[in-house]
Amino acid sequence: MAAKVIVACGSGVATSQTVASKVNRMLKEAKIEAQVEAVDLKSVDRYLKGAAAYITIVREAKEREIPMINGIAFLTGMGQDAEFKKLVDAINAFNAKAR
Amino acid sequence: MEFLQNSIDFLLSLGAAIFVPIIIIIAGLIVRMKVKDAISSGITLGVAFTGMMMLISFMSEAITPAAQSMVETIGVELPITDGGWTTMSTISWSWPWAFLMFPLVIGINIVLIVLKQTNTFNADLWNVWGKIFTAVAVYYITDSVALAFVIAGIQAIFELKSADFHQHRIEKMTGIPGVTVTHKMVFLAAPMYPVDWLLRKIPALNTSFNAADLREKVGLFAENHILGFILGIVFGLLARFDVAQTLTLGIQAATALTLFPVISKYFMQALEPISAAVSEFMHKRFGDRKLFVGLDWPFLGGANEIWLAVIWTVPVTLLFAFILPGNGILPFAGIINIAIAVPAYFACRGNIIRMLITCTIFAPVFLYVGTVFAPFMTELANSTRAIALEPGQLISNSSIDGPIFTYAFSHFMQVTEGNWLPLVVLVLWVACFVFYSRELIRERRAGEAAAAAEAAAVEA
Repeated sequence: MAAKVIVACGSGVATSQTVASKVNRMLKEAKIEAQVEAVDLKSVDRYLKGAAAYITIVREAKEREIPMINGIAFLTGMGQDAEFKKLVDAINAFNAKAR
Repeated sequence: MEFLQNSIDFLLSLGAAIFVPIIIIIAGLIVRMKVKDAISSGITLGVAFTGMMMLISFMSEAITPAAQSMVETIGVELPITDGGWTTMSTISWSWPWAFLMFPLVIGINIVLIVLKQTNTFNADLWNVWGKIFTAVAVYYITDSVALAFVIAGIQAIFELKSADFHQHRIEKMTGIPGVTVTHKMVFLAAPMYPVDWLLRKIPALNTSFNAADLREKVGLFAENHILGFILGIVFGLLARFDVAQTLTLGIQAATALTLFPVISKYFMQALEPISAAVSEFMHKRFGDRKLFVGLDWPFLGGANEIWLAVIWTVPVTLLFAFILPGNGILPFAGIINIAIAVPAYFACRGNIIRMLITCTIFAPVFLYVGTVFAPFMTELANSTRAIALEPGQLISNSSIDGPIFTYAFSHFMQVTEGNWLPLVVLVLWVACFVFYSRELIRERRAGEAAAAAEAAAVEA
């Protein structure tokens, strides 16, 4: 099964789906098997179980165990490559553990 | 020429789920998408329209009987179904001229950047629909497509200006540098500013409490499925349904609120490649200049104050809907009112107590503007068959973004028919915007001066 990556925004419709579509395309081009899913921030904790990484576009004080990726980078293009590499590493680490 | 006109009329007669996908396939090919990707986007868009059509019919079929029953049980008539912003965006995209808004908005942005009238590059092309929404209202009032685009263009300019003015405050409040909000929901902060100015004079209102803990406790109620269920039950009780009917309405309402984002996501999926292509072009063109990137509001979503204000506004709006004379909308899918909480967050600089008071004061505005917009949105929905409505059924949104601005700028031409109210509101809004902007600019300069002084002190 492909690793699951979660990205959240206020409604799970516009911003998060923009990031999800973009990252899905980048992963496909890099031939990495993973599925990025856009969800509603209000319910995000329900979706994070079993996910390989969480792409967040907000600054939260809340500590999470899951690897966090800065989603703003994918919206502005600034620092995008570094964040994408972080994401790929997280997916690889997740897959290695699952095996 | 006649053949062309006939073909266009034929395509339009097929409904939004057919002609909008055709437009996006053409638009995709223009921005050099691969043919197969363009077709995929087009069909996804058709799916989005058809899915929304299904869902809106489902929602109105579930809620309308309860709303009708309430006329007898509690004597309140609220005939307008609240489809929320996802429904409004669906209807807006179905306007035959909608896609011309892309070149207009991008063109205005480029011109203003080149003329150094803005430092913001608006990367949020999804919210082009907000300009289309205003244009649709102008079009139905004045019957002029040209004027519709002029007003939409003015909105785009105000959005960039507002984004420029807010950037430093956003950076300070979120800790995220280089980005700002280009969404028109922020426009409401201008009329909220004088209210907050008054509230600040009361010392007791300058205190605060920890929003994080409280949000943790009540956050559950803002989740779509839970909120939908509660609303359905409340409507069922008010309509004096029996237990089985009430529970059924609860689950149906929960279903509607849960599925709205799931389906409207497909709009985004379809439009994302075009928006990415434009972003890339802008980056290449203006890569050497330091520009702020204009985004939609969600990156502010880490602020607990915003969520608390949203949750607070739910019962407040509901109560107002039942007691305010002249309101015709039964709040439902638009009840998660981000468009009131985000501007309050800026106007009150995150002070939660003043935010809650401000949200209470401004909640009626959303109901009245939602009521006023119902006829156009219903007419457009019917004419493009973007959504299927029963005869006589009305649809609108109880949380229209930037309601005062949108109402004033789309309706002010009614002065020719003797209705002065929108024009007066327009003047007042512009005055508030000027005062509020001055305050923001003062704050930015003070911040820059403090930073410079600090740098000088370090050097010395």
